[in-house]
Amino acid sequence: MVIKVEPRRGRLIIHLLNKWRFEWTVEPRYWRNPLIAAVLWICLPSLIPFMPRGLPIGPTTLLTALFMANVVAISAIAHSLQTIGTGRLNFGPQFFVVVGGYAAALLNKNYGLSPALTFLAAFAITALVGLALSPLTIISRGIYFTLITIILPLILYELVFWRVDIFGAETGIPGISRLVSTGNIMDDYILCFYISIAITLVLLLIVDKVLRSRWGFMFGVINEDEDVAASFGIETKKIKVVVFTLTCGVMGISGWLIAHYYGSFAGTMWLEPWLLIFILLSGVLGGKAAIYGAVLGSYFVVLTRDVLRPFVGEWALLALYAVLLAALYLLPEGLWGLYRKTRYREYVPTIRVRRKT
Amino acid sequence: MLQVSNLVKRFGGIVAVNDVSLKIDRGEVVGLIGPNGSGKTTLINLVSGFYKPDGGRIVFEGVDITKKDPDERVKLGIARTFQIPRLISNMTALQNVTYAVVGSRRFREKRMTLAEASAEALYYLDIVGLLRKRDLLCRDLALYELRLLELARALATNPKFIMVDEVMAGLNPAEADNVAKLVQRLRDEFKLTIVWVEHVLRIIMRSVERVLVMNEGKLIADGTPREISRDIKVIRAYMGEEVVI
Repeated sequence: MVIKVEPRRGRLIIHLLNKWRFEWTVEPRYWRNPLIAAVLWICLPSLIPFMPRGLPIGPTTLLTALFMANVVAISAIAHSLQTIGTGRLNFGPQFFVVVGGYAAALLNKNYGLSPALTFLAAFAITALVGLALSPLTIISRGIYFTLITIILPLILYELVFWRVDIFGAETGIPGISRLVSTGNIMDDYILCFYISIAITLVLLLIVDKVLRSRWGFMFGVINEDEDVAASFGIETKKIKVVVFTLTCGVMGISGWLIAHYYGSFAGTMWLEPWLLIFILLSGVLGGKAAIYGAVLGSYFVVLTRDVLRPFVGEWALLALYAVLLAALYLLPEGLWGLYRKTRYREYVPTIRVRRKT
Repeated sequence: MLQVSNLVKRFGGIVAVNDVSLKIDRGEVVGLIGPNGSGKTTLINLVSGFYKPDGGRIVFEGVDITKKDPDERVKLGIARTFQIPRLISNMTALQNVTYAVVGSRRFREKRMTLAEASAEALYYLDIVGLLRKRDLLCRDLALYELRLLELARALATNPKFIMVDEVMAGLNPAEADNVAKLVQRLRDEFKLTIVWVEHVLRIIMRSVERVLVMNEGKLIADGTPREISRDIKVIRAYMGEEVVI
């Protein structure tokens, strides 16, 4: 038997090839709240066409903002998992987003690969780049790791201008296939949103499963004290390399979404620090890298910017940063912390934040 | 069981461990004593893989482990406790022992689940008398309990050889006595080989079969407690006077 399923005390134990074993909690009380949240989330865009007219934000702008929130959420979830699993703070997540975006754009435009194939390619290429850079998680830590990762987007930025013939510099790469093309713009926007939400949900489900497994437990120990983890038998090097590689691949999916959503991809725009700040703040504001918090955080960050824009114009980013500073100050446990406070006490790995609370 | 040859560790200009060679046989309980800064903890850090040596060789059960990572050494059966308890304060006592079970070789061999590892961690907590405190966060535990938890965590890796680093530091005489008895009991129940670093000489001289003495990074004496207590080099370097057993 390739797969054997064995129910045991509220859990499904799934044996694969008699070698791998997965556990899945099936008790309804654990699933009620996430299901309600997922249903509300999925229903959100279907309400947008019924928005009253005359609002300062149009439905397409709002749908684009929701799509971008999912794009940032995907990177923020991956970044949060990376921070937990490697015990290091990557300050160059936008580098991996852009690598994924360029991989998708170039393969689609030059080799005619469909978005489905460029999805796999963007993940694989970004993961390979992540694998090549993963020794950084072994040889550096703390401020050195952070500094090295800050430099990565700057190198790519220069590379993009150096090889204008390949990357198109500020003009970017136009003429990329759209993610969906039904002929109706509103339907396209809604479908794109659903594709992004499906990816985010699947990613959430996988990351949640990983964090609650023995792997997540080991990531938590590495994040809390890497030396202790190694001293008690946890294979820190292997875990850090695998986590770094895979999470970089996931960040590349954000780039894939951007490239196929806009139909053109200019990496210079996405290499700028605002995307780094959005991804980092989504994780921290959401709740110390709690993955559900990362989703809440990214929606908060992106929607606050886009809702503020009609009112304060070019001051939107400044106003956003002011709101974020206030939120960071007032919510030390993040948005997710507001929910977690009322829940049972359970260890879910989050990043260690040196801050008095 | 453990053979250390010409081990050297330098921190800048300071030679913390200077050409140390020693041999520890299976089933022995060996005391490692010396004044502050004599290199005892550095030696433990070298054997456990926490530090990489600048010279020398460490062989454990015939396997050269000099260049092996700490996690590989744990899987070979080497465990340690920390002088200043180094537990994860955001985790409960049970979780702190559970990750040691997860890191052990047995976890992989028996293809255990996290729940099974947790159940096994309860067993080790029970042995050291912390079963009732299993759900307390480590930051809420007293020093005595943290010391016991360190022992439980080290045991959970399923060791053959354990290095106990000043497990009685900061404890009152009654607590220190309890910990000493516990270490003795663990040695008998789990058939452990123990290297016991300690400053409380009266207890260690009674509890071990052999004593190694370090001073300024060098091993200056090796013998039974009675021999060590009369060794003039040891008395001059460390004790200042003869200890009456």
